[in-house]
Formats: sequence, structure tokens, C-alpha cells
Amino acid sequence: MSGFAFAFPAVLTALILLPAIWWLLRLTPPKPLVEAFPPFAILASVMKREETPAQSPWWLTLLRMLMAAAIIFAIADPVFNPRANTLSGDGPLVLVVDNSWASASDWQRRVDTATALIDDAESRNVPVSLVFTADRQQDAVPTDPETARTRLAAAASRPLPADRTITVTALRTALDGTAPGTLAYLSDGIASGETDETLAELQTLAPGELRFIEGDGLGAVAITGASNEAEALAVTVTRLRTGEARTLPLTAHDARGRPIAAGTVSFSAGEAVARGTIAAPFELRNDFAQVTVDGIANTGATHLLDDGFRRRRVAFLSGETADVSQPLLSPLHYINRALAPYADLIQPGVADLSVAIPELLNQNPSVLIMADIGRLPEDSYAPLERWIEGGGMLIRFAGPRLAAAPADDPLVPVMLRKGERALGGALSWSEPQPLADYPPNSPFFGMQKPEGILIKRQVLAEPTPDLAERTWANLADGTPLVTTNAMGSGRIVLFHVSAETGWSNLPLSGDFVEMLRRSVQLARGGGVAANSDAQSQGLPPYRLLTAVGTLSADTGDARPLKQATGEPRPADFDNPPGLYGSEDGYVAHNLFPRGYQIRPIAPADAATVVRESLIGEAPWSLKPELFALAALLLLADCAIVLFMGGAFAAAVRRRPQRSAAAALVLAIGAAALMFDPGAARADDAKPGDDALFSRLDTTHLAYVVTGEGEVDRISERGLAGLTEFLTYRTTLEPGEPVGVDIASDELSVYPIIYWPISASAPMPSNAAISRIDAYMRNGGTVLFDTRDQFVGLGENSATSPNTERLQAILANLDIPPLEPVPTDHVLTKSFYLLSNFPGRYSGSPLWIEAELDRQEDPTRPARAGDGVSPIMITGNDFAGAWAIDASGMAMLPTVPPDEVQRDHAFRSGVNIMMYMLTGNYKADQVHIPALLERLGQ
Amino acid sequence: MAAIGQIVEPTTASAALSRAQARAALIPDCMVEARRLANTVIAGWHGRRKRGIGENFWQFRPYVDGESLSRIDWRRSARDDHTYVRDREWEAAHTIWIWADLSPSMMYKSTFGTVSKESRALVLMLALAEILARSGERIGCPGIMEPIAARNAAERLAAALMHSNGASGLPDTRMIRGHSDIVLIGDFLDPADDVMERLGPLARRGLRGHVVEIADPAEELFPYVGRTEFTDPETGQKLTAGRAETLKEDYARAYHARRAGLADSLRHLGWSFVTHRTDHLASEALVAMHMYLSGMPAKKPEVRP
Repeated sequence: MSGFAFAFPAVLTALILLPAIWWLLRLTPPKPLVEAFPPFAILASVMKREETPAQSPWWLTLLRMLMAAAIIFAIADPVFNPRANTLSGDGPLVLVVDNSWASASDWQRRVDTATALIDDAESRNVPVSLVFTADRQQDAVPTDPETARTRLAAAASRPLPADRTITVTALRTALDGTAPGTLAYLSDGIASGETDETLAELQTLAPGELRFIEGDGLGAVAITGASNEAEALAVTVTRLRTGEARTLPLTAHDARGRPIAAGTVSFSAGEAVARGTIAAPFELRNDFAQVTVDGIANTGATHLLDDGFRRRRVAFLSGETADVSQPLLSPLHYINRALAPYADLIQPGVADLSVAIPELLNQNPSVLIMADIGRLPEDSYAPLERWIEGGGMLIRFAGPRLAAAPADDPLVPVMLRKGERALGGALSWSEPQPLADYPPNSPFFGMQKPEGILIKRQVLAEPTPDLAERTWANLADGTPLVTTNAMGSGRIVLFHVSAETGWSNLPLSGDFVEMLRRSVQLARGGGVAANSDAQSQGLPPYRLLTAVGTLSADTGDARPLKQATGEPRPADFDNPPGLYGSEDGYVAHNLFPRGYQIRPIAPADAATVVRESLIGEAPWSLKPELFALAALLLLADCAIVLFMGGAFAAAVRRRPQRSAAAALVLAIGAAALMFDPGAARADDAKPGDDALFSRLDTTHLAYVVTGEGEVDRISERGLAGLTEFLTYRTTLEPGEPVGVDIASDELSVYPIIYWPISASAPMPSNAAISRIDAYMRNGGTVLFDTRDQFVGLGENSATSPNTERLQAILANLDIPPLEPVPTDHVLTKSFYLLSNFPGRYSGSPLWIEAELDRQEDPTRPARAGDGVSPIMITGNDFAGAWAIDASGMAMLPTVPPDEVQRDHAFRSGVNIMMYMLTGNYKADQVHIPALLERLGQ
Repeated sequence: MAAIGQIVEPTTASAALSRAQARAALIPDCMVEARRLANTVIAGWHGRRKRGIGENFWQFRPYVDGESLSRIDWRRSARDDHTYVRDREWEAAHTIWIWADLSPSMMYKSTFGTVSKESRALVLMLALAEILARSGERIGCPGIMEPIAARNAAERLAAALMHSNGASGLPDTRMIRGHSDIVLIGDFLDPADDVMERLGPLARRGLRGHVVEIADPAEELFPYVGRTEFTDPETGQKLTAGRAETLKEDYARAYHARRAGLADSLRHLGWSFVTHRTDHLASEALVAMHMYLSGMPAKKPEVRP
């Protein structure tokens, strides 16, 4: 139906103008830039040949010719796919439209095709009978074309296979013997059932013309099964068009629709069914919720997976009493360790089996593992068998109790001989047996050949004809080690050895883990209800697939799904594909059951059937494209002319750095605009930060502002004197002394705070004292100076007012025990070697924290941070001795007036500062001789 | 795209004069080193830093036998046992001829240069005249002005230029007499042989020459790209290049070969040769000329790329 025609062919005669345009174009080259050039003679001597300005390059001319031709063709308006009305006008138009799942991928084209036919019917003035084959109610009564068009617009493809028997019946009823003029069957090409005689049936309606219209069928691809294999998810895919080889990508999605794994399926030529794999780790495969064929959006190409792919719930039962003190002798220990990474494990809370088995089954396990249980309570057999038939898997391990059990146990896969077979040992000729290769029908097939596993003891199966096919693993001598038997939907697996190490070393090997894992993987997930009540009620629809393969909560008229134990049914009107159940557990109901193969619809008598394909797109004009092409050519021509004129070369040559720099600046600016760090950061500035920052880079000596002008002045001048002395004598160069208000200033930036006690000053508040306490606790030191060494002279009172004030202050502080500086204390040798610490006065000892034994007392908060005493107390008036005036002269005389004592006062200050700043470093230096000796110096 | 180069109107001598004086103010007075002072006997009023005829004291030197006794400075000789002669500083003026090429090829300015070549040549010429006149040299312009020794020589040269009807390629050298210096300012784009044919006779007459070649950056760098039609401002000839950038290397080679040939030939004559580009400061060329004229050969100016 595709074609090509011009709407205005007459315009094409303008093409004969092209040679004239050619001639004109060749005559007008691009205009050169005129440049006056004084060194013309030099240039003339350099130019080898003179440019012939009479012609432009041939390709430029060709470009312009193409441009002209494109414009001419565009005006002539070429049109693709012109349609012609070929409808038979003798009777009503019968439109049979397959709106099945396979039509979803090209549904719009089908609608377009049907619309075109309805348009034709309207122009022929015939009624239209429109019927959709995948609808439950099919109404084939002929209507006027307008109604048909409305119905067509309202129709959508359904996530179901077509049911054409209803269609033919409905058509017969509706037409009532009237022979349709044209019967157009827009088919998806898929036969419903094994054979499909729809075309032959339609022919019996005796239409004037039978058109069989089908699409390319490439979208008719359906996933019919997905099974979890050892290493990968195996996906079975069937397709309609079997002609050529085709490889389709597969994607596995998790429950939230995110793609998490990918694989491929490859059809070889002529093959309708292929198996693909999606390789993914086991843990990842647990999360698979649906598998889709990429690029094909329909119900068939989407395969839902249910809890069968989740972690299994495994229940344990053991015949022996659980002895937790000796776990290595318990079989459950090995099973537990093997399966814990792969499965949810549940154990009964009671030892009584008659209670434990119903309790376990009520928890809907996928697998029940019984280790060495010979006999079950009589009333446990019935529920257990029902559970297995409902899909449960029973894995049993042998053991002494099973070996001693009677042979009529219904819950073993094979007939067992009574007693066990011992291999090796003192009374046997035979040797312990290794394992043979796994047989191909075994789920263990593909595992590495077991090495080093020796079976010393096992139970033996009675030989039966089908023993080999029930066997999953053999010993090297051919006796079965693992046997299995299907029972209803479920399965019983028996390991002929015990699950602990008494009979073999199998439980110690990695093969044991892998065998258990693969066995458990075979069980159906999601649990199996022990009673069948829920099943008889059916599962309510939870999420249904739409025609394009997405899940929807709109359940429409879907009925609850009755889970049949037998062959799974394909989806139908009552149970469209989707998830049935509830959020907690659901069953996937897919479009096709496992093993289904889609087949093409049976061809009818070829003579009377007109085969057509769907119409392509509507007739579309090439005009815009041609005009766009002409515009592009014009742009290219402009660019070429500019290039030949040297515009780009000049721009690039003249300003490469500048443009690059500008681009860089622009990029950085844009980046800065986008990621403005200042905007993202919170403004954490606080008042007083400036003062704090100014204290941080330099060490400052600090004193407590008492509020008494004279005392504070002496403190300030005293610390200034010490600062000068320190700067002159040592590498420490402190900044200006700082007076601190202990009630408000930040104290942590000062290593030491000098506090002259003055009884007449106001008593600091409790809050201020607690700040001092915190300062000392955090490693700071306070030097208290009562300045009263000789005040008490001549008085009887033992304590001066300053000392009383100090006691009042210290009463609120948590201070360590104190002692006068011992002679071997580091304070006496941190810079100068000193024996006493005089100030203006001499004689008062310097009290520091007593060095107790190493045992630390957690109840004493003001510990020496870094080995430095947090508190020093003196009465010698240090600041008075240190105080100097602006000219560097001492302000106060020492008592007695002795400049040596003042010098010692300064040395005391230096030692205190060094002790503050270096801590125990000087004390550690006593070890230097020993260290040097060790280093061999 | 606008053309790179353009033909400009001739600069008026008065405008050039004001700019020249501004330039000249930057340069110290230029003492022309008179190697051939014996031949220029006209007394000037500036010292020559040599003993000779003049009024100012230069040095005492011991009397040697054979000199006139009248030259002995007895006052000085009386102070010790030797006899001394008082030398005076030699004062003399020099004649400098300055000529600038004002032909149509000089009326060119490209977007790279700040002024036209002609404008730059005039500025250089008048600035040189200003500097030299300050030093008392006699300034002349072949074909336009007889040598004069006056403080306002530059103004008078500018006036003479205004009244001359301008453009001629070749200086009329008949009025040049004796041994003097000649400064030639132009673009010298003619073939080097033609140029030397004109300058050779001057050199043979004993003139000491200084040649300043003024070039526009566009002439030296050849920044043309794309399809370009070149026209000769003197003859009006046209030449079209399809892709001008391909000519760049060949042109640069030929251009510099011509310049090198010219410089070589001038060096053989004993003349100095200075190249100057209009995108550089006029003072650069002025200082270079100053150096050559005052007998201190400047370091050869590096040709900027």
C-alpha cells in the first residue's frame, strides 16, 4: 500500500531551470575581501599563480544546485502512502479486530487501519459491524460508521488471548444471513488453541471479499515459564514468527519495577521456542518479581514471578533431644549452619512431635527437614501428607532411628531396607565409599565432582525399576545416596546418611551446603497452607497486568483465582494475568502456562482471502523535510562562504587565548553560581568570635579582673613584665596580657590565668566559679596569689582576709589535694633550676596538685590535664615583683629590697610558663641518657 | 568583515609637529658625533667635548716643544715647575638632513598599528629636528628646506613641509653639499637594489646616512586569512588570493629577506639602519636614532614577532 506521488507534479518542470542556475552560480564566486597592501611587489613575487576568480568551487555550486532542487521538490509536495478506497459496497463492512495481548505493541496501527476502513465504509455509505475478539461481550450488530468509530476509539487491547469462537457466533447472530460486503479481519496471527479454524468459519459467512490483515507479528513473543536453576534463571520464550534467527534481551525487575538483572534469549531460525537465561547471584534472584522481554511491551512478554523466588522458610525436626552443650553432635547444627544464609529457619518450640508438627505447618514452611526421625505420631501423618501434596517439600536425613523404623513408612521416597549398611570398619571388607558423579536428572548436576567425601554408613534402598530416575546422588558403587519422589505437588527427598558426622563426613563439606541449597531451592516458595480452606475460596486478584505489561491495581471484573493442583490454566476472562492473593503472599498467574507454544493461525483457502498488512503510517508529505533540507543546505552554504572568507580562521587565530579564557571564566562562574558554598553553609558566626580569633594565633597571659583598679593595674603590668622577660629569655613570645572577666569571657584560649585574691573585691558569682571549675577540668591552670605573706606579721590571726577569700572561693571548687612543690618536681627544673619561688615576698611555698600514686580517682573531676597541675596557690605576690612601668623599671620594691629576689621571681614565672606549655616534657628528659645509650650514641 | 588595512589621509604638518614636540620632550638633546668635524668649519654654539677652537676652558696640558709660546698659560705655569697650555673646548655645529617618504604607500594604517606610516614618519622627522635643533645643529630637508640653525627649526621645517606640494619618492639631493648626516625615513618597500641605486651615490659623496624603515604590523605579520584581494596603493594593481593564510610563510620570508638585504647593503655603506613598527612607540625609533646620531650605536633593536 505504500507509494509515492506528487501533489503538484507540474512544479517539477521547474527542474529544467537547474542548468541555468548552474551557469549563474558558476559566474558569481564569493566576494573577496579587498585589502590595500603597500608591500604589494613582495606579495606579487611570492604568489605562484594567480587565483582565477571567475569560478566558485564545483562542490559549492553542487550544494546550491541541491538546495534549489530541494526547494522545487518541496513545492511539488511529494506524498508517501497515498491510499485508495477499494472497499466493496455490496454489503455491510464487517471488521473483526483481534484486541488480544499480541496486538498491544502495534495497537495504534491497527486502530489506524480500522479507522481507514471505517472511513472507506462511510464514503461508500455502508454500515459497519465491528467486533473485538478478546472482549467478554462481543457485539457484532452493524451500526453506522460514526458509532463504529466511537467504539473503535474506546477499545483497547486486552491482556488476554483472543476467543474467536464467541466472535463467529456473535457475527452469525448479528448478520442473520446478510452477506457482508467486505469482511476485514485484523488478526494478531495467533491461533487460539491447537488449531484455529476462524478463517474458515469466517468464510462460511460468505463475504464479498475477505481481507486478512495482520501485522509483522514481531511483537508476538511470550514468556511461558521461568524457573530458578542452580546458576541462573531459565526463561522459556515462545514466538509467532519462526522465520529468522532472533536474539531478544531479557530483563528481570524487582518488586518495585527496577531492572536488576539482564540476560538474552536466542531463537535459531525456524524455532518457535527458546530458552534464555538471566545469570544473577542467588541472593539477587530472590528479588526477581517479573521478567520482561525488552522492547516488547505486552502481556505475553511480561512474566510475573511470585514468592517462589523468595527465601524459603525451612522448618526443622530432629528425633533426638537437643543438646545445646554439644552442638557438634546434633544433626540440626549442620543443617542450620548450611542453610542459614539461604533460608529462614524455624524450629518447634516443643519437643513433642504431635504438637510440634502442626505448629510448624501452621507457619507455612516451604521445606520441612526431619533429621533421623523414624516414626511420627500416628495423627501427624495425615496433615503432613496433605501439606506435601499441597506443594511442601520434606527433606529427611537417615540415622539410627530411621534405620530401625518399620519399612511401611509412607514418607520416604523409596522402599528402604531395614537396618543400615556399614562401609569399612573392623568387620567389613568394604571401604568407605566416595560419591559418584551426579546423574543428569539431578538438581545437583553441574556441581563439581565431590572430592574427599567418604560415606561410612548409610541406609539402603530396595532396588526398584525406577530407582535410578529417583536418585539424585549415588555412591561410587552405585547405591543411591539421595533419593526423591514427587508426591502431589510436593516432594520428598531422603538423604541416606545422617546429618551429623557419625555416618559420613558429608556434612562437613561444602557439597552438603550446596546440595541442601539446591534442594531447598526446588521447593515452592511463599509457604504452603496446611489446610486447604483458603485454596478452596480462591485468591482475590491483587495486581493485574495491563495489555502493555504493567501492573495495575485495577482488578476490573476479575474473579478470585482458584489454585488448581493439576495443570495450570491459561489466563481467561475470569482470571486475567496478574498477581492473586494479598500483599503478604500472592501467586503469579501468567498469560500462558508453562510449556505453551504460540502457533500461527491456520491459513484458509488462499484463493478467496486477500492478505494485507496493516497500513503504515497515514499518508505523509515530504514537504517539511525537503524545506528543512533546503534550509540546512542554506546554512551550510553560509558557513562555507564565511569559512572561505576566513571568518572562522581569523576568529580562532586572533583570540584563541582570550576566548579560551573567557570560556573558562564563564564555566567557573556558572559552577560558582550553581555551587555557591557560602549559600549552603549556615552562618555560624557568634558575637565575640573576632576577639576569640585574635587570641588564637598568639599565646596570651591572662589575669582575672578583680574590679579593684590598683590590683588590676599591678596584675596587668606584672604580666607585661613577665611577657617581656619571656620574650627576651625564651622562645616563647606571648602577646599582650589580657584581663579576663571570668563570668563572661571565653577562658579556654589561655594556658594559665593569674588570679590575685583581694578580700575587698566583690566575690565572684557561683556561675563564674563554676566556669573556672570547668576551665581547670579542661586542662587550664589558675594561679591564685593571696599576696599576703607578710600581712599577718604582728597580728595574731593565722589567716589573712585574702586567704579567707581564697578559702571561700575554693570552697565552691572541686580541687585536688595540694602540696608544696617538691624538690624533685618538674616545676623546679622546667627552665631554670630553682629551689623556691619568690615574688615580692619570699617564703610562701607554691602549692600545686599533690602527685598521688598512679591510681586515678574518677570522682575527682579537676584532674591534672596532661600532667599539669590545674591549680597553683602562692602568697608571694608574683605580679608585684614582675610589674614594670612603661620605661621598664620595676614598679614595686621587693621585700626585702633585693634585686636577686626579683630576678628569681621572674625565673619562677618563666618556670611556671614552661611547665604550663610543655607539661611533663622536661620531666621525661631525665630518660635521655638512657635513650641515647640504647641508640648506641 | 572589515578590511585590516586602510589608506589614510595625509597628516597635516601642524598636527605632526605638536606630536613630534611631545615626543621630542622625552628625549635628551642630541649631540651629533662629528667625526668629520674638520670638514664642517661652521662654528656652532655647543661644545664638542674635545679641545679645539672655542671659548670655554677645556683643560690644562703640559706644554710640548714646538707649540706657540703664546699659548702658554703663565698664570697656571707659575704655580709649579712645568709650563702648561690652556686648551679650550671645541665648539662646532653639524648639518643634518632629514627626509621622510610621503609617497602613497606610506598612507597606510592597519587595525594593528596605532597610526599610519606617514604620520609616524612625520612625527619622527619633526621630533628629530626638534632634538637636533635644541643642540644647535643645522637642520635641512632635501628639496624642501635649506639647512638652518635655529631653535625653531622644527617649526620651520613643518612650515616648509606644509608649503611643499609633497609626495615624491626620491629626495632631491642636489642641495646637499659637503659631508653631513642624512636621516632617511620611509618604508623602503621597493626592491633593495632600487633603493641602493638611489642611496649609493649619496654615500659616495661622503654623506653619513641613517635609514629608518617604518613598517606597519600588518605588512610584517601578514594577518590576512580567507579569500582576499590585495591592491597596490601606488599602482592600483590587484591580486586575489584564494586562501591568504597559505601565503603567510612565503611572504614573511620574502619580506624579511628584503629587509635583511637592505640592512646588509647599508651596513656596507657604513650607514645605520633602524626598523620601526607603527604599533610600537615612536620614542623607540627616536631613541635608536638618537643613539646612532650621537655616536653610540644602540643595541640592534630586536624585531618583535
